[in-house]
Parts: sequence; C-alpha cells; structure tokens
Amino acid sequence: MQLYNAFLQLLILVLAASEHKGLSRIKGTLRLGGKIKMHYFSILLSLAFPLGIIYVIERLFFGRKKRFSRWLGKELPLWQDKNIISSEQADAILHFYGIKKGDLKKKMDMVKIVSLVGSVFVGLGIIFFIASNWQRVSSNLKTVILLGTTFITLYLGYFFSYEKEGWINLGKSLVLLTTLFWGASIALICQIYHIPSSENWYIMLLWAFPILPVAIFFENDYVYLLSSVLFIIWNFLYSYNNNLANYYYPLIIFGLLLPMAKSSIIGRRINILGLLASSMYCIYYKYEWLALIISIGLFLYYIIKKEEKFYLYSASISFVFWAFTYLNIRTKQPNFYFLVPLGVMFYLTYKDKLKESIVLCVGNLIIWINLTLYSFSQILNYKINTFDSVLLHSFIGLVLYSTGILSQNKEVEFAKVYKLLGFLITFVCVYFLSFKGIFQKLDQNLLYFYICLFLAVMAAILILGIYDFIKGYFKNKANRLELTAVMMVFIANLLFLFSAKTVVINTMLANILLISFAIISIALGVELQKPSIFNMGIAIFVLFIITRYIDITWELSEKSLFFIIGGLIMLIGGSFLEKQRRKIIQRMKSE
Amino acid sequence: MKKKRIFLIGIIILWIIIAVGVILSKQWTLSTGTRVLLETVPVDPRDLLRGDYVVLNYKIGTLDLTKINYKKQYYKPGEIIYVKLEPREKYWEAGEIREKKYIEQDGVYIKAKVKSFYEHNLRLDYGINSYFVPEGRGKDIETSMRSGSNNQVSVEVYIDRFGNAVLSKIYINDNEVKFN
Repeated sequence: MQLYNAFLQLLILVLAASEHKGLSRIKGTLRLGGKIKMHYFSILLSLAFPLGIIYVIERLFFGRKKRFSRWLGKELPLWQDKNIISSEQADAILHFYGIKKGDLKKKMDMVKIVSLVGSVFVGLGIIFFIASNWQRVSSNLKTVILLGTTFITLYLGYFFSYEKEGWINLGKSLVLLTTLFWGASIALICQIYHIPSSENWYIMLLWAFPILPVAIFFENDYVYLLSSVLFIIWNFLYSYNNNLANYYYPLIIFGLLLPMAKSSIIGRRINILGLLASSMYCIYYKYEWLALIISIGLFLYYIIKKEEKFYLYSASISFVFWAFTYLNIRTKQPNFYFLVPLGVMFYLTYKDKLKESIVLCVGNLIIWINLTLYSFSQILNYKINTFDSVLLHSFIGLVLYSTGILSQNKEVEFAKVYKLLGFLITFVCVYFLSFKGIFQKLDQNLLYFYICLFLAVMAAILILGIYDFIKGYFKNKANRLELTAVMMVFIANLLFLFSAKTVVINTMLANILLISFAIISIALGVELQKPSIFNMGIAIFVLFIITRYIDITWELSEKSLFFIIGGLIMLIGGSFLEKQRRKIIQRMKSE
Repeated sequence: MKKKRIFLIGIIILWIIIAVGVILSKQWTLSTGTRVLLETVPVDPRDLLRGDYVVLNYKIGTLDLTKINYKKQYYKPGEIIYVKLEPREKYWEAGEIREKKYIEQDGVYIKAKVKSFYEHNLRLDYGINSYFVPEGRGKDIETSMRSGSNNQVSVEVYIDRFGNAVLSKIYINDNEVKFN
C-alpha cells in the first residue's frame, strides 16, 4: 500500500504542479540557477496538499487495522523468540484478528520503491521538457524521437518482466514509465498543432484509453491507477469545457474499469470515488440523469458483487446527491421517487446485516424529510425557522431511540446503532433549545407543526409498544432509567410544540432536560458498569456548565473578570470532578 | 510468453495508429485546407500540460448578428455552427452563419462552438485560441502587441472542407514570429 501511496503522491504532485503557478516558476528559477530559495514555500505547499489527501485516504481505507497488524507483525516473532508464546499460539492470535500471514510478510521492498519513483521522475522530466517547447529540434524529429523512446521503453518493460528472470520490479517500473512517455507524446502532438487548452480533455482521453491494454495484458496495477486518475480528470475537464453531462464516464467505469479492477481494492475504490465526485458535481450543474445513472449503476454492482460493501455505501451517498440535484432543478416539486431506492436500501441493509449502511440509510431518510419539507414550505409559502427544524429533529431522534429499544433482542443487531443515532440527534437538538434565543420571535411553520405531531404519535405508539412487547423490560433498573429519559424528552417536546411562545419556561425546561441527560447517563453508566456512558454523562454536565456560564456572564462589561473567574471555576471544579470520575471508574473496573 | 509478445506488438500497433491518426488528421487540414489570415487580440496564460501559450482572441470571435445573415432565432451554448469566411482587403471576415446541412461546396466555412448568446452578440470558439510558444517567450510577444501599441497581430489558419481549422503561423506587422 505504501507503494501505491508514493505513486499517488507523485501523480497528484504533477497535477498540483501544473495548476500551481508556483511550481512552474520554480522550474524557471531552477533553470536559471541560483535563485531557488525564493520558492521553497510553494514547493512545500505543493507537497503538503497531496500528502494531506493521501493521509485522509489512507485513514479512511486502512485505518487502525493496518497499523495494528503491522505492530502485531513486529511483536509476534519477538514474543516467540522470548518463549512467551508458541508458534501455534502466534498463529491463533493472527487468526483471531483475521490477519493472514502473507500480509505481514509483504514488506516494502526498497528497490521496488526506488525504481518506481525513478520511473515517475523520468516521466515527469520528459513531460516538463515537452512543456518547455524547445525549438532547436524540428517538431517532426521531436515526435519521432519521443515515440521511438516510448516504444523502446515498452519493449524493455516487456523484456524485463517476462523474458529475463529476476527483474520484475524493473520491468514493472519501465512499463509505468512507458505510459508516462505516451502521455508526453500525445501532449507534444497536441502542442505542435496548437490544440487549445480548452480541449485538454482530449489529451486525457487519448492518454487514458490506450494505456488500458497495458494495464490488462501486462498486469500492471500502477498503470491501472494512472489510467483511473486520468479518466477522473478527463471527466471533469470534458464536463466543464463542453458544458455537458459526461455520460461516457460512468459507461467506461462500469463497463471497463471496475470489471478490470479484479482484486485491487484501492483501484476499485479510486474509481468509485471518481463516480461519487461526478455524482456530486451533478448537483451544481443540474445533471439529473447522470446522477441517477451513477447511483443505479453502483447499486447494481453491489447486487452482482456482494463482497464489496463499499458499492452499497457509495450508492446510498450517490442517491442523496441525486435527490439534491432533483431539488435544485425543481424546487417546488417534492421528490417522492427517492423513497423507492431508500426502501430498497433499507431492505438490503436488514437482509445483509450491515451496520455502517443503516447509519447511511437513516441519514438519507432524514435528509429526504428535510428536502421534502423544504419543497412543501416553498409551495405553501411558509417560512422555516430554526426552532421548527430543531424540534422536528428532536422528535426524529426520539422515534429513532424508541425504535432502538424495540429492536433489542431482535435477530439483526441494529439496536445500538439506532439508540446512538437517536441519542446524538436528540442531544444536539436539546442543546440548541437550551439557548434562550431560539424561542424568540416565533412564527411557527404549520407544516412542521403537523409533521412533529405525526412523529409524536409515532413515538407514543413505539413507547407503548415497549410496554407491550418486551416482557420483563421494567424489572431492570437500567431500562427504567432509559425509559425515564425517553419519556422526559417526549413530554418536553410536546410542551415545546404546543406552547412555543412561552420563552422563559421552555428555555428552563430544555435546561432541565440537559441536566437530566447528564444525571441519567451517569446513573446508567454506574448501573451498567460502562465507563463510556458514565464519561459521556460527565461530559454533558461540563458542557452544560460552561455553556450557561458563558451565556449568563458574557454580557457583563468586565470581560477580564469573566475569564479569570471562569478559569478558576474550571480549574478547581475540573480537578475535583476528574478525581471523582477516576475513583468511580476505578471502582467499576475492579468490580 | 508468446501470448505476451502478441499483446506487446498489438499495443505498439494501436499506439502508432492513434499517434499517426491524430497527426494525419491535422496534417490533412494543413495540406488541403484554404489559407486564411485572421486578425487577433492576444493575452498570456499558461497551459497545464504543454507549457506557455498565447491566448488569441479573434475579431470574428464575437459576431454582431445585426450585421450578419443567420437562420435561427436562438443559439444555445455548446451548439456547433458554421461561419462563412470571406476575404476582405487583407484579412478574412465573417459572412454568414449556417448549420452543417446548408454548407455549400464553394465557400470557406469554419466550424465553431457557441460560447454564449446575449442580445444580438454571439460569442464563438473556433478551437484555435491557443498558440503554443517556447517557455518564457509568450511574454515577449505579448508586450510587443499590447492594445496600446500600434503593432498589428494576425494569424495564419488552414481550414479544410469540413470546417476544421488548424493554427499555423503568427505574424506581428506582417513579419512571421520565429523562435529559433
């Protein structure tokens, strides 16, 4: 994977360099000699940006497991040497964490990196040389020399990969180099005939397509990645310069690149990300059908290739982009078609028991509710204010949490996800409501009012369902605490809904609710012996104190006093709280 | 191994076909096309792949439809149209606008993409708005043809019978600009 990273980094550097005026100037100064120091900053910037992107991608894709397995790979042989564990035990540990022994041995080969980076450097050098448009040699000769070099390199790549043994790394690097040379050749030809820069997409296409056979027949993942990235760039350049939706892009990706990716996870995901980016682009340019086609394509891919769940997640996200595009085109027409993919997503999520997907599905549902209400508000000429929106989400959180309780002990274990989502949403809403400003100057949106009422009825039914369906639920103290919180939110929300204009009482109520969250979380944490819930309660409590302190004292004229007293309270109170917290957690752990 | 060698040869042939194809299509325009001189107004940016180039704005880049014959009521951005070019004194200028099916065999028509259509002004892109120059040389040309100066900048373009245009040479006060 590191190898991929090194390569990706360089590739992005090329792009950054070409767009970044700084780097072209660096090249200029380098050529003149001596004046290099001026542009250190732009070099740093050009390097930091791609590195940042790669870091995010790395974290997203490989995250903790990779670091852990790397660490384990170092430690296990050590433990075996010291006779702490036997080799069977080492195998058992690896098996337990689902790490294959082969993964550990895939160490980075220094030679491999150096030859790869070397070929990328040479390729870049040639591209920059072409860009300098050197005129001593006639265009014809330049073309012939460059094309000749390309073919010779291709042959050498083939020779070292397949005919001569023991030089596979060199062979692979040379094949990559050839594809860079090919790009340079195309750029040169287009330069000679003054094909305008608004048609750079043309170069990208002529570069990306012909190198695909190289990727397939010489089994070269780097070339595949290069081609994927070039296709992504082509897609945007084409769309931007022609003001057209690029339907060819999904066609190429779904028809060619994804089937070709085979076992390369990163290759597959880069293309999926390309599709998602394309789908997001549709929102601003109103390419409704393109977004829909990409979404459906991703979805179908999941149906065909179940093992890659990433397809379903990205389809889920892409459908939301489509919903936004739809809204952007016709504001006053609520999108009920969206319910079809959403329903299917929910069905598949339950069928295949995908915890990550349920988060996306619930998120999509909430987004859809918001978009639809926005449309209707536009039709009816209702204004949406923060209070309506916050209260609505508070009800949604309530319904989610109740659903979570109800789906305990069910076959599919989504209870925790529902509860967590429900709690987070409700908590954020109540926190908002605890500020005085939110209740003032109210002009309630009737549409939101009725939807809230509907959600309230739903929540009531769910809560009643808890009484009916889960036997013995109330014998447990923890469950009683949980339900108390739910009931409190339910009642408070109803009060907010029906008397939105009693500012003082409502604000007080919201604050009481916030403290209750803290107290109930602490009690629940102790009862269930779960430090995480306990800590969360403490955190809510601290947040409450700080917020209210700032709220109340901010308007005082003496700001210095505000900070000094506040700081002292936090110092003393904080250390006291921390001491108590540690004590209780220690006790929890020792029990 | 034999299979791989066939792939190798196949790829080389494919690449040669593509490279030669692009070259020939442009070369064909240059050799069979009509030579046309156009008047320009330039500026100087940079291309991401191919180094420095001079951006050329043409006098025929914006057409005033009150002075020209045209058929349609509305032209939408991205639409392909054909502009008939007629020689006046030294430079060639726009005569009338046509759609493809109406092109006559005798006249010189240049293909254009509509950029915008506002009131009676039609802005067009002929695909000949970049002239690539050796690194650092674009600035020299640019300063010698600022709008304040009296220099006259023109461009030699070849247009084939399908309306494709290829840029060939750039002139300042009738002297060809050379970079050797």
